[in-house]
Amino acid sequence: MLMEVRNQIKVIFLSLKYNIMREMTNKITFLSNILFMILNNSSFIIQWVVLFSLKQEIGGYTMKEIILLWGIASGTFGLSKIVFSRAFELSELIMEGKLDTFLVQPKNVFLSAITSETKISAIGDLIYGYICLFVYGVTVKNFVLFTIFLIAGGIITAAFASIVNCASFWIVKGDFFADALSNIMIDFATYPGNIFKEGVKILFYTVIPVGLSNYLPVETIINFNLVNFVWIIGFTGIIVVVAFWVFYKGLKRYSSSNLMNSRI
Amino acid sequence: MNIIEVKNLSKTFKIKEKEKGIKGSIKSIVKPRYKTIKAVNDISFSVEKGEMLAFIGPNGAGKSTTIKMLTGILYPTSGEIMVNGINPAKQRKKLAYKIGTVFGQKEQLWTHLTPYDNFKFFGAIYDIQNNEIEDRIEELSKTFELESFINTPVRNLSLGQRIRCEMVAALIHKPEILFLDEPTIGLDPVVKKNIRKLIRKMNKELGTTIFLTSHDVGDIEKLCKRVIIVNKGKIIMDDTIKNLKSNKPLEDIITEIYQEATI
Repeated sequence: MLMEVRNQIKVIFLSLKYNIMREMTNKITFLSNILFMILNNSSFIIQWVVLFSLKQEIGGYTMKEIILLWGIASGTFGLSKIVFSRAFELSELIMEGKLDTFLVQPKNVFLSAITSETKISAIGDLIYGYICLFVYGVTVKNFVLFTIFLIAGGIITAAFASIVNCASFWIVKGDFFADALSNIMIDFATYPGNIFKEGVKILFYTVIPVGLSNYLPVETIINFNLVNFVWIIGFTGIIVVVAFWVFYKGLKRYSSSNLMNSRI
Repeated sequence: MNIIEVKNLSKTFKIKEKEKGIKGSIKSIVKPRYKTIKAVNDISFSVEKGEMLAFIGPNGAGKSTTIKMLTGILYPTSGEIMVNGINPAKQRKKLAYKIGTVFGQKEQLWTHLTPYDNFKFFGAIYDIQNNEIEDRIEELSKTFELESFINTPVRNLSLGQRIRCEMVAALIHKPEILFLDEPTIGLDPVVKKNIRKLIRKMNKELGTTIFLTSHDVGDIEKLCKRVIIVNKGKIIMDDTIKNLKSNKPLEDIITEIYQEATI
């Protein structure tokens, strides 16, 4: 069992390495992709600067906390798109019969499929996340917590994307449904959680878990609370189990296809 | 000894039916109608260890669906499958170490990587140690004559070279059975001949069982001793090539069988 996990991790890292190697063949595109993503993320801070010139606090946050929130949002999204990029495209793999390649390999189909591609611009998101942490104020404790929450948030984001994308096992054109829900998760990640009313908050801490991938980690870095920390880690475990369960439940309905395609 | 055993295997797909035009589209949302298609309908057969079997039929006959059930890609609706003593639906990973697959219409290789890097990656997938994989790559690249392009990115290779690399990737872990789904599709006659020679060599030297589907009569005639013909999900013939052959070319005989079955 341990050996199996070790070998699976080895394949994931090898896949990541080869994907990055592919992108690095064109140095200019590789670097500009990362740089432009950092610039793109920075531009969003301007709207917050304008808002804070009108109001001192928004949802209990000042500009400092907003920068931390952006750091967590950008970092979690970046990490999920670097390692688990294809979780966001699982619908396409299901509908177009592209899981065949992974099904004939002696590895975990779900993990092999979602880790088979890397979005290079996401490296920019991850770097931007850490820049935000440095602007917010870095300490050893903050750095460790931030890193743990990026990993947990990245896994939550990818697991959620996988679950909604698995809709394609049951419904035709499940990609529309999956894209809509994945986008909600990403779009709401950069707003302070406290601006939402109770009903919406419940939604964000359960069905669309942006609260657990973003809002609660920010709160926990600002004011450390062990219960919150355990809850974030525990929820990460729960959503991973759910994602695996949904995928393997759906896989029994997988119908493959005879479309001509290649692995690029 | 039988290496593949299939008993009463069936696979059905539920397909949504839509009437024509925009009215039909609206109707299919409000009140969707489905029909069930039996892609594979109660088939039984067995394959002996070391055998080279042609599993053929017209388009939509159920060949690929059967191969996909044998390799663990699709779950059967009913029936039993044992491949090398393993149930593909229940022990997919265990089976993957024992089989190799080449789908002529679907590439498994990473096109931006060289064949060498691809083989290293496949070696890791099959948990092969680094020193062992180097020896295996060297051995297979000699057999399949890949030395001159083993360090060229796959995207720059010709179709024939790519198929040879696909076969090496499928053989990297020394599988006991090789499933070939249209391996010579789109290849010129010289490359086809070369590929067939390599398949025969593999069967003879390594004792690999070959399960082949192809529309190319040349593949069937030159490689296999036995042929199973399927149509509309059912086996309509299971015989030796020798018995099938009369004074007519094999292509004509197979076409006649297909036509009779369609009527």
